[in-house]
Amino acid sequence: MGKTLFEKIWESHIVVEKQNSPSLIYIDRHLVHEVTSPQAFEGLRINNRKVRRPDLTIATMDHNVPTTDRSLPILDQTSSVQIQTLEKNCKDFGIKLFGINSPNQGIVHVIGPQLGITLPGTTIVCGDSHTSTHGAFGALALGIGTSDVEHVLASQTMWLEKPKPFEIRVEGKRKNPHAVTAKDIVLSIIKNIGTGGGTGTVIEYRGEGITDLSMEQRMTICNMSIEAGARAGLIAPDEKTFDYLRDREYTPKNYESLVDTWKDHLKSDSDATFDKQFTLPIDDIAPQVSWGTNPGMTCDVTESIPTPDEFSKGDVNQKKGAEKALDYMDLKPGTLIEDIKIDRVFIGSCTNARLEDLIEASKVIKDQKISPHVKAMVVPGSQMVKKQAEEMGLDKIFINANFEWREAGCSMCLGMNPDILSPGERCASTSNRNFEGRQGTGGRTHLVSPVMAAAAAINGHFVDVRKMDLN
Amino acid sequence: MKGNVIKYDRDNIDTDVIIPGQYLKIHDYAELATHAMEGLDPDFHSKVKEGDFILSGKNFGSGSSREHAPIALSHSGIKAVLALSFARIFYRNSVDGAFLLPIEIGQDAYDGISEGDEINIDVSSNEIQNITKNQTYKMKPFSEIIGKIIAAGGLFKYKPDQD
Repeated sequence: MGKTLFEKIWESHIVVEKQNSPSLIYIDRHLVHEVTSPQAFEGLRINNRKVRRPDLTIATMDHNVPTTDRSLPILDQTSSVQIQTLEKNCKDFGIKLFGINSPNQGIVHVIGPQLGITLPGTTIVCGDSHTSTHGAFGALALGIGTSDVEHVLASQTMWLEKPKPFEIRVEGKRKNPHAVTAKDIVLSIIKNIGTGGGTGTVIEYRGEGITDLSMEQRMTICNMSIEAGARAGLIAPDEKTFDYLRDREYTPKNYESLVDTWKDHLKSDSDATFDKQFTLPIDDIAPQVSWGTNPGMTCDVTESIPTPDEFSKGDVNQKKGAEKALDYMDLKPGTLIEDIKIDRVFIGSCTNARLEDLIEASKVIKDQKISPHVKAMVVPGSQMVKKQAEEMGLDKIFINANFEWREAGCSMCLGMNPDILSPGERCASTSNRNFEGRQGTGGRTHLVSPVMAAAAAINGHFVDVRKMDLN
Repeated sequence: MKGNVIKYDRDNIDTDVIIPGQYLKIHDYAELATHAMEGLDPDFHSKVKEGDFILSGKNFGSGSSREHAPIALSHSGIKAVLALSFARIFYRNSVDGAFLLPIEIGQDAYDGISEGDEINIDVSSNEIQNITKNQTYKMKPFSEIIGKIIAAGGLFKYKPDQD
C-alpha cells in the first residue's frame, strides 16, 4: 500500500519504535527563541548536560523584542533579562544566535525558510505552536513545549505518538487572487472543520488551489494548521519549493543532488490512504473576517454576524461560546461585517509579514491616507524582509499613508512587548489568533488578510477588497 | 485524588486566557500562578484552593505551546484538568513536566459534575466518583506510555530502557 508524505518523513526519522507506544523521532533542526527556552537551558545546567547537536540548533529573539528604535535600551527590566538570558545560553552552549542587532533577526518562522535552514523532508521543532509554518516546504514541523525543548536540546530526539494523516484538498481557481488570498483559504478551512477539526492529525494540503500558491502563501496556510488543532500541516515540495530555497545563506552545498532525491520521494503515493479528508472548493470564496474569539468564528466579508443559534447549529457549548464571544467583542448578531468600525490595524506576524504580504498591502494604500481615527502599524517578519521592502520603497508608501514602520518581531500578534491594544480597542489584524486578550487585555481582534487589513485602515471599517483594483 | 471542581462550561479554553502573553517573561512560578486564568476569570486566583480540579469542554488548552499554561495552573494548586478533549501540546506539556493530570472525560461526567462538586479521581480504575452527587463516571484511560511518564513523575524521570 502506498504511503503519505507524512508517513515517509516519519518513517525515515524513527530512532525507536514499539507497538502501541510513541516513537522516538530524530529531529533535524531545532529553532530556539527567548520565551520558551530559559527553563530548558536551566534544566541542562542542573543535570550537567550539553546540547547534543549545537550545529543543528539555531536561535533568534522575536517574541519579546521591541519593534522601536533598537539603539535605545530596553526599558522593561524583565524583558531585558529574558533577552540577555538567551544571549548567555547561546554563548554557553555554542548555539548560533541571530541576536537583536543581527541583519538575520526576525520571527523564527520567517527566518528559517529565508535562510535556507528549513528543508524538505526534514523534521523541525521549535518551542512555538506556529512551527507548522515550515510544513510549506514538505518538512514535518512541530510546535513543542519547554520540557520537549530541553529533551531535544539534550538528545536531538523526541517521543511522539504517531499522528494520523488528514488530506485537505483545495480545489478550483480564485477569480481574483489579489483580493482572495491564502489567508482567506485557511480561514475558510478552519471555519468549516472547526478549531478541533485537525486534532491528532498532520494535515497535507493538496490540490490545484495549493499548488497555484507561492511559497510565502503556502506558509500562511501551513502556519494556521495549529488553529485547526492539527499537530502539523504540510505541502509536498515542487519546483517552486526548490527554487525558493536555492542559493540561500544556509542552503546545503549539495543542494541539487538533494533536490533530485526529494523530487522522486517527497510526495504522497497515488494509492496512499488518509484517515480523514476534507475538500474546499475556492472558485467563489470571499475575503474572510473573524468576528469571534477563536479562528473558527469567521465569516465572509459580505455577511453579517451570525446569531449564536445560527453559528452553533444545535451544539450547546458552541452556542455559549458564541454568546460569550459576541459579548467580549461587543458585537450584535445581524451587524454587517462591512459596518464594523476599527481603531487599529496590525500588519505583521509569522502568518502574514513576509515580503509578498507587504507588497500586496502596499498596493491598497498607495497614495492614500489611513482613516483619521485609525492607528496602524507594519511590523515586518524579519530584518531581511524589512530591508527588501525598503529597497522597493514600500516603507515610504506605508509611512506616507500614516502607518508606523517598525523593526521585526512578533509584536502585537501576542501582546508580550509594548505593542498592545488598549481595553476595548478593535483591531484588523493579519495575525493568527483572535483569543480574548491575545493582543492586550480587553483588546478585540479581527483576523484578516494583509489586503483586507490595509483596506480597513484606509476606510476605517471592513470593506470587500474584491471591489478594488489590486493589479 | 480528591478535590473540588471549578467548572468553565465552554469549549476552546486557550492558553492565552490561561496565562496571558504579557506574563510569559515571569520565571517565578509562584508569581506566574497569581495570573492563572486571568484572561477569562479574574477571580480565579482568589477562589482556587490546593487540590482543586478544573472541568471544561472540548479542545482545552488550544493555541500557544507555552508550558507556562500548565505550570501556572499547577502552581495555583490545580491537580487535574478534566475536559471533553485537549489540544495536544497542552496535554503533552502537562504530562512532560508532571504539572497536572489531563483527564479526558465523557459527556456524562461533563454534564453531571457542577461547579463546587467534590470528586474523587481514581486513575487505577479509570473512574471518577462525584461525592457530592453520589455518581460515578468513566474517564478515558491514559495510553500506556503516558501512564508510565505520569507514574515516573515526568518525562525526565521516565526511563524507557527499563521497560
